Amino acid sequence: MRLKSFIVFFKTKAIITVFFLFSTTVFAQKVVRYDLYVKDTLVHFAGKEKRAIAVNGQIPMPTLTFTEGDTAEIHVHNQLKEETSLHWHGLFLPNKEDGVPNLTQMPIRPNTTHIYRFPIIQNGTHWYHSHSGLQEQIGMYGNFVMLKRPNDPSFRKGIDDLPTLPIVLSEWTNLKPENIHRMLHNANDYPALKKNSVQSYGEAISAGHFKTKLLNEWKRMLAMDVSDVYYEKIFMNGKPSSELKSISGNELKGGDKVRLRISNGGASSYFWLTYAGGKITVVANDGNDVEPVEVDRLIIAVSETYDIIVNIPADKTAYEFLATTEDRTNSASIYIGIGIKQLKSSLPRLKYFEGMKMMNDMMKMNGELDDMGMAMSLNQMDMNVVMYPEITGDAKPKQDDNDPNRYNANALGDIVTLNYAMLKSPTITALPKEAPVKELYFKLSGNMNRYVWSLDNKVVSEADKILIKKGENIRIILYNGSMMRHPMHLHGHDFRLLNGQGQNAPLKNIVDVMPMETDTLEFNANIEGDWFFHCHILYHMMSGMGRVLSYENQMPNPLIPNPKLAQRKLFADDRKFHFMAENDFATNGNDGMAMLQNTRWSIGSEWRIGHHVFHGYEIETHIGRYIGRMQWLMPFVGFDWRYRKFGIDEQETNLFGQSNSKDLRSLFTVGVNYTLPLLIIGQAEIYQDGNIRFQLIREDIPITKRLRMSFMLNTDKEYMAGFRYIVNKNMGITSHYDSDMGFGAGITFSY
Amino acid sequence: MKSIKLLMAMALMLSISTCFAEIKNAKVETVHIYGNCSICKKTIESAANVKDIVQVEWNKDTKMAILTYDEKKTNQDEILKRIGLAGYDSDKFLAPDNVYAKLEPCCQYERTGKIVAKIEDVKTVILTVEEKVVTPILTIKIQGEQLKEVFDSYFAVKDALVKTDGNLAATKAASLLNSINAVKMESLTKDEHAEWMKVMKDLVFDAEHISETKDAGHQRDHFTYLSKNMYSVMKVSKQETPTYYQFCPMANKGKGANWLSKENIVKNPYYGSKMMGCGKTVETIN
Repeated sequence: MRLKSFIVFFKTKAIITVFFLFSTTVFAQKVVRYDLYVKDTLVHFAGKEKRAIAVNGQIPMPTLTFTEGDTAEIHVHNQLKEETSLHWHGLFLPNKEDGVPNLTQMPIRPNTTHIYRFPIIQNGTHWYHSHSGLQEQIGMYGNFVMLKRPNDPSFRKGIDDLPTLPIVLSEWTNLKPENIHRMLHNANDYPALKKNSVQSYGEAISAGHFKTKLLNEWKRMLAMDVSDVYYEKIFMNGKPSSELKSISGNELKGGDKVRLRISNGGASSYFWLTYAGGKITVVANDGNDVEPVEVDRLIIAVSETYDIIVNIPADKTAYEFLATTEDRTNSASIYIGIGIKQLKSSLPRLKYFEGMKMMNDMMKMNGELDDMGMAMSLNQMDMNVVMYPEITGDAKPKQDDNDPNRYNANALGDIVTLNYAMLKSPTITALPKEAPVKELYFKLSGNMNRYVWSLDNKVVSEADKILIKKGENIRIILYNGSMMRHPMHLHGHDFRLLNGQGQNAPLKNIVDVMPMETDTLEFNANIEGDWFFHCHILYHMMSGMGRVLSYENQMPNPLIPNPKLAQRKLFADDRKFHFMAENDFATNGNDGMAMLQNTRWSIGSEWRIGHHVFHGYEIETHIGRYIGRMQWLMPFVGFDWRYRKFGIDEQETNLFGQSNSKDLRSLFTVGVNYTLPLLIIGQAEIYQDGNIRFQLIREDIPITKRLRMSFMLNTDKEYMAGFRYIVNKNMGITSHYDSDMGFGAGITFSY
Repeated sequence: MKSIKLLMAMALMLSISTCFAEIKNAKVETVHIYGNCSICKKTIESAANVKDIVQVEWNKDTKMAILTYDEKKTNQDEILKRIGLAGYDSDKFLAPDNVYAKLEPCCQYERTGKIVAKIEDVKTVILTVEEKVVTPILTIKIQGEQLKEVFDSYFAVKDALVKTDGNLAATKAASLLNSINAVKMESLTKDEHAEWMKVMKDLVFDAEHISETKDAGHQRDHFTYLSKNMYSVMKVSKQETPTYYQFCPMANKGKGANWLSKENIVKNPYYGSKMMGCGKTVETIN
């Protein structure tokens, strides 16, 4: 009777009746079996041969198609040298089939086969992907389509009977995803360099935005972009460009309509969808029908799905359907129709400094965001419009700070952009009225500089499971207090997004929450288990941005024989330490650093090795813990060892007159780091011999796109200033002056 | 910056014309690219050229371009797509309409490659052509379609006022006048006919006034009445798609004013960008 509970809450009464009439005869009769062979492969997508994962020899994974009422039986043969799993995104299924390793099942070990088997009790456009590590980035995504039965009362003539193409969007990078993840945690600005979005002081000055940049750094912000990762290629069904000339053998011609079932299988990219043949009609979202709405464009959040209808206006012409990354650096297209290709104009480059100015306005000195009373929600106000030339013009906007619509794309521009408030379910989606309500509030929190992403400033491993009761109506209020947007995804359930459509609120399983927005969603807790609720940006999820919703008094999951072990393995994801190191081989010596960091801890060593004893040798090691949401404060303990015969300036006392045993010292130390305005790190420490030292340091001040400056000075009367020119992601050319070692030039290698 | 870019472009062109040999694995092809003048030539070539990989030379008399490119690194489609995105049609790609529209007037070449759209779009295409052509086509219009021309012209005036473009509003009002005069009353339904008789004179009066001035403020005064009368006709006329009757309480010196729109999104024709989002839909006419 599990099935019954599934259905009751997700279908209208009329459908239930019909459903039950057929359920005895049709249900569980037709078993649709797929065999998926997961295997390592080499691909040549962007100029270099790189490792990827193919399933049945293809990227994306094959499209799996079912009809509502079928039983799915999917045999996953893991031929990798590592563990894997498959998650059926947006599906209603028993918890043990949900495919989250170490939560709903143990990982599928190499050279074993795992069988997923579950009834298909819904219809719509969904997708599936690996939920293990970063495998989703390198090929493990695919379409998952569940058709309506032809006699379904919700079958829409003119929509559900159109020629249809499923499309899964994705990205490709030649960097290993593990390396991207590591670089993100080390605030490496290499992706910004590739995207030309460094936003250095030099660029700010030539754009007339020096004050903007200064204020931005004063408020302790690093240059922001709308997305963090640089991708070499964007794909629709695995290709940057393709043609759609016929569907199931019928050639497309002028006057035809085509339905596209689009899933965003990108690991971290949002995409703008635009079409050269006129308006786009949106007919479903996240696998649930919506009343048709005509728009000029829409953005599809990571892991969302949209069903849209496009017209082919004329014969002998193919119209470009274009998916452009939110940062506008790359795109993929498919030409729909036969003949000469009608192009769609590409989206112009973002006005980054306008965005920076907007962020300055919103950011308070304490790192909290201030929405200035705008009560934002549902993507209706998009702060980023200040950066969109197609909405706010090429030049500086004639912005009126009192216009209530100054961030409303649809009021400002003459094109229509979809937002969540425009989605309306064709059926009544109200929850059972008599059920008790449990309200949960989450603040989406983050620290851009250290790439820590969390809910209420706690990552998955730091928080308890959230207990809910079967039968309750769960209402979740999300406020995004971080500087980036987050597509929040709930496993195993659809929720109603309260968007002003009353009883016809749309059903979704992803909600994209932009900075400063508050969104409310609700669902009836009707299928027990441990369900993941998380940000679907892969690198945010792996950093711990999520929670587990767990039903009270549920039956133990037979696929998790050792829950403690499973939990430890689940938590290992966000407890991971990220390594970085760099070393400068210079004419006056050799200095460098290595660091291991995770969500809260930092273990770092710095060394300076002169070419001879007069320049000295020294190594300082600090172990510290970041405190607070903004992580500006880091108390640490450390050990300092130095040896130097005598110095160039022969300084033996510090500013406070304390003598300094620099010629040979090995001392323990305790102290704190604090990030000051302008991103200067102030350090105060006291050594075991009672000596104290204060130090100011700022590294990587962006002077131009590739030139960085740094400086340091302390109360031991040591100082340093230097420049670095970035050659590529692992190498730079440096010159610096150091009070111990004098002037030097060299080459820096960094990892 | 601009002058630097120009210099760089010039240097690039010079270096390319002298050292063809720099492009490795060179493949040479000749293709047709639409265009008119030497400005076109500059735009086409700078959109197409990539240092050491692609070099394009377009001849404005023959409209033929010689593409020289490294076939290991790129292909003809990539080059022609870039040219298309810069506003120039070829035999493979059609430029986006908005990019073409922004080309210099002298560059607005004749777009023979474009195939006229089928279905609904046909009507709008015809509407923009000279009235001479419109008249015979109008006579074959079926019942109920008659007033669509009038409504569409009205929406064009509204859109012009949303943009606060007095010139455009005047032109669009002139074509509105034409379509009002072209309405054959005998082919209207009974309800339409009754209503039409009531308001036709006023419609003509306001449309005339809007067409005779370029001052958007004055046009908006007349647009208030024009909208009111148009609304009463639309109420009794059956249309394929819904129309939204919208209201801004601040317009008309605080007395409030209405307008009609095909979109259920407020774009205020009384204030334009000053208060684009002011107002709301008060009625949906099906």
